[in-house]
Amino acid sequence: MSSSDGGDDGSASSGAGSGPVVLGSKPIEDGFSQLRVTDLANGGAANDGDAEAAAAEGSGGREGIAAEVGEVEDGGAASARAGGRSEIEEIGEARVMWRSNSEGEGEAQGSPSSSGYAGERGSSGGSGSGSGIGEEEDEIEEVRSDAVSDSQAAWMPGKRHVDEDDASISWRKRKKHFFILSHSGKPIYSRYGDEHKLAGFSATLQAIISFVENGGDRVKLVRAGKHQVVFLVKGPIYLVCISCTEEPYESLRGQLELIYGQMILILTKSVNRCFEKNPKFDMTPLLGGTDVVFSSLIHSFSWNPATFLHAYTCLPLGYATRQAAGAVLQDVADSGVLFAILMCKHKVVSLVGAQKASLHPDDMLLLANFVMSSESFRTSENFSPICLPRYNPMAFLYAYVHYLDVETYLMLLTTSSDAFYHLKDCRMRIETVLLKSNVLSEVQRSMLDGGMRVEDLPIDPLPRSGSLLPRLGQGRPVTDSQESLKEAYAGIGGPAGLWHFIYRSIYLDQYVASEFSPPFNTLRQQKRLYRAYQKMYASMHDKGIGAHKTQFRRDEHYVLLCWVTQDFELYAAFDPLADKASAIKTCNRVCQWVKDVENEIFLLGASPFSW
Amino acid sequence: MGLSSVASNSEGMQLCIFDLRRGQNEGQELDKILFFYPADLPFSTQLSVIGLSEGLITFTRIFSPEAACEVIEAERHSHVFFEAEPDIWMVVIVEKNKEAEAIWRVEGLRKVLKEVHSLFLMFHGSIRSLLEKEPAAGSVRSQLYIFIMDYLSDFLSSKKLQLPSFRDSLKERATVQMLTVGREAAIEVQSLVRVVESCTGSQSSHSLLLFQDLLVSTTLSPDDTINLFTYAVLRLTPRALSAGLSSWSYLRKGSAASTAVTGPTMGSTTSLSEPFHGSRGTSAGDDHSHAVRPLQHDRWSKGRDGFLITDIWQAEPGSLVSVTPSIWLQQTEEKMYLCAYQHKSLTFIFLIPVSSVINGEQGILAVKQLVLEHASLKMLKVEEKLSKGWGGENAYHVSGYRYLLVDGDRNLSRASPPGKVATLTKDSLLALSKLREEVDIEKSRAKWDNDGHEKDLEICTRARNNAWVISQVTRGKELYMVLENANETLLYASDAVQKFSNRYCNGAFSLD
Repeated sequence: MSSSDGGDDGSASSGAGSGPVVLGSKPIEDGFSQLRVTDLANGGAANDGDAEAAAAEGSGGREGIAAEVGEVEDGGAASARAGGRSEIEEIGEARVMWRSNSEGEGEAQGSPSSSGYAGERGSSGGSGSGSGIGEEEDEIEEVRSDAVSDSQAAWMPGKRHVDEDDASISWRKRKKHFFILSHSGKPIYSRYGDEHKLAGFSATLQAIISFVENGGDRVKLVRAGKHQVVFLVKGPIYLVCISCTEEPYESLRGQLELIYGQMILILTKSVNRCFEKNPKFDMTPLLGGTDVVFSSLIHSFSWNPATFLHAYTCLPLGYATRQAAGAVLQDVADSGVLFAILMCKHKVVSLVGAQKASLHPDDMLLLANFVMSSESFRTSENFSPICLPRYNPMAFLYAYVHYLDVETYLMLLTTSSDAFYHLKDCRMRIETVLLKSNVLSEVQRSMLDGGMRVEDLPIDPLPRSGSLLPRLGQGRPVTDSQESLKEAYAGIGGPAGLWHFIYRSIYLDQYVASEFSPPFNTLRQQKRLYRAYQKMYASMHDKGIGAHKTQFRRDEHYVLLCWVTQDFELYAAFDPLADKASAIKTCNRVCQWVKDVENEIFLLGASPFSW
Repeated sequence: MGLSSVASNSEGMQLCIFDLRRGQNEGQELDKILFFYPADLPFSTQLSVIGLSEGLITFTRIFSPEAACEVIEAERHSHVFFEAEPDIWMVVIVEKNKEAEAIWRVEGLRKVLKEVHSLFLMFHGSIRSLLEKEPAAGSVRSQLYIFIMDYLSDFLSSKKLQLPSFRDSLKERATVQMLTVGREAAIEVQSLVRVVESCTGSQSSHSLLLFQDLLVSTTLSPDDTINLFTYAVLRLTPRALSAGLSSWSYLRKGSAASTAVTGPTMGSTTSLSEPFHGSRGTSAGDDHSHAVRPLQHDRWSKGRDGFLITDIWQAEPGSLVSVTPSIWLQQTEEKMYLCAYQHKSLTFIFLIPVSSVINGEQGILAVKQLVLEHASLKMLKVEEKLSKGWGGENAYHVSGYRYLLVDGDRNLSRASPPGKVATLTKDSLLALSKLREEVDIEKSRAKWDNDGHEKDLEICTRARNNAWVISQVTRGKELYMVLENANETLLYASDAVQKFSNRYCNGAFSLD
């Protein structure tokens, strides 16, 4: 996001007229000359001015949220005074609340997070240089350096390549761009490059969208060679993805929906009213410092199946352990907490909702991403306004977030802005119970042990009441047939060449994915598998003709089998040479296995969902 | 009147051709437009269509310099792009409408653009070369207008233009359908071809032999074969000549459609020139009457000697003297006279280089005479043989299967007869169309990745209506199939594919 370094860049970035080689060049102007040349020019020019203004404002050494709040209030003050209660003010207030509560907490506790975003801002700036490691997409298209992308090096959060703009060859060759812009063509977010420098480019995107809109239509997709340009219009907010990955249109569109949801989670949809009052409203300050939230979400598109399955996953736990966690969460839910969620990384340990309140899996994904990507949540307890777009996109809820250990965190959501101390009490009660009942240590153990492995798929269908967890089960006797089958596949994957599977329970809104085992040794291979699942998902769930029932798909990489019933969906990947008949048998066995251990891998009996 | 009736029933579709090298200066944008349908659309609208297209071509080149915009999918329309010649673009815009069955496959529409352009090339040469000869472009525009409108009239069904939709998913344009010929007949055919080509007295003459609407033999290059075959099936074969009698051709709509638009004579020049813009300076009416209209309906007939005759080609504009048609070969860029002899179901087309015939029409006449003398008996025999072995319209029906088999390397396709395909439910055809779209994308992607090997892909889907919808792509061959009355297991479906592959595709799609 535009950070304080935007001063010079802002004024240097030219509009459509002069700067970037292609956009400024004659052809594209000609292309839109009939209607849009003015828009292009105006958009660019206006952005220049604002960029400077924003940079000037920001140059006063503001720090974190405090400065942002000030800015928001500045912006909204005039209209607020004139028109009564303004939306900007609401957003502003919410932010103020966070800060003041943190301050209040600071006095009591001594170690509050004084600023939600301060740390992130630092990290986003800092990671700009630490680029090029990890993610494949981050690479430039033609560069196929497997050594780099296959390395298991940790993904670096935050924005990279801020020095690029649309004139840079490297920028143009990035595999996957995401843009958020306003309907007047102002850049709000760009995955790569400095938003201010992309003002001209952003104006072009806006021109394309409004050109088609003026013709009484709405552009969804442009395809060119390997590239897809996907558009999503959400009121005054435009989202665009430009990608040369193999992902189908439906997936990319779903990703734009999630990015929009993430924005709503931070700001609520009432930000629209800012645009109603002032079409040229500059949103960047409101999102200041949230780069890291978006980049982490975008990163999850290539590893987290929840992003296209619209389901969440649970940490495997003994039934009794999860029951114990659920019971204590239920206690607090009865005392005015809307949702109580205990998570470990992106996996749910337990989850309880107040009566009739239902939590959409996409909201959980966005909330967990918001919490996990923001460094400040890790360091102390936090009380933060957030919005759950699927629950109520117009209103803020308040989330009390506290990490119980390095990976496990508790989120208590309420509608009341002054519930901080109550929630803090709740948290302490919960923490005590969880410690006493060993839930936290079980959680850590489960993280170490991992979940279902295709190698462990029982061949013998006899022992019905199996257990996934070695310490709970009696150990699985290896049958002869299992031995011989394993030998036949030379130790790779499970029986019949099974490499991986995902099982999604439709009623529970939950999925379980097997752990990665060979041959999925590298991030690149894992990502390719997810992309293949994604493609299959899109192919099976066609909106126009309704969902298919079964699909078998074989290409040079895998055999994929998908099976959709009223109760569940199964996605399984096999060796490309796998035999159809035994693959089908194996799928049936996987389903049986999942049913046998569902007590441990799913959250059952909890009633957060109202159907 | 073919042209005017197309022009007046257009709402759903627009088609344009524009040249990015023209009209660079402000105020001259109209100059870019070489063709626009419907022509009576206001210029501002035409320009905005072309402006959007051009804008997106430029925009997509930022990221994808090697392949610019191919399609714009909007909520209500699809815009399908085809760069016919460098900087000369064709764009077709179709309206999506679920109720009206207006559900399209992008590649299916692009193939229509490719086809009309290839045919244009065959009769007129490249658009660029015509533009170079005539920078004002007046007569290029007329030629394009007449040619494309004549072409589009084939898609007219009950007064509405119907481009290939999901219902045509078991057809493949720009491929040739072959007749399966026994060994004995093949030898007869070969000798016939040899005799006729020797009659032409030129080393570089070529021939194409059709039985009904199926290809029996060709000595042309693959591209030229497709073009000439396409033209023959459109206008020359017995079915095309007697349009209306039967309609089993694999690719073409029922010929009822064509008769509906075929007026007894070509429309008055006014109906033609009316949609033309007077502002262009040229007197459009005159241009129209000059332009050769090879795709006009009912202008070919069978002469008493068995040769097909037409008055489409005239010695000079306005003259009543018709001359032998001529076409351009894509491969050699050579101009060839086109002669076609027909006996019952047999259509024998031979091409003689214009350069090798010294005394024009006289020379052609002499060649025809020679062919009659030496080959007419052979034609009789070949026709008889082929007729005996011919299984009729449903010859290539395989019961229980609805299929399309495409051999991309040889540009061949074979499919279930249209009458059988028509028994499939809408749901099955929609699922198939969708699956083909998916495979199209995979294929195009493999082309760009160009990692040395062709796409190998097998997709077998059980749709909501329980039909199995299957696609297999392997070594340049493609198989698409719908099994509606199949058992529910995947194994049953793949077994059915296996059997089909072994029996009809020499095991091309068999795994073991």
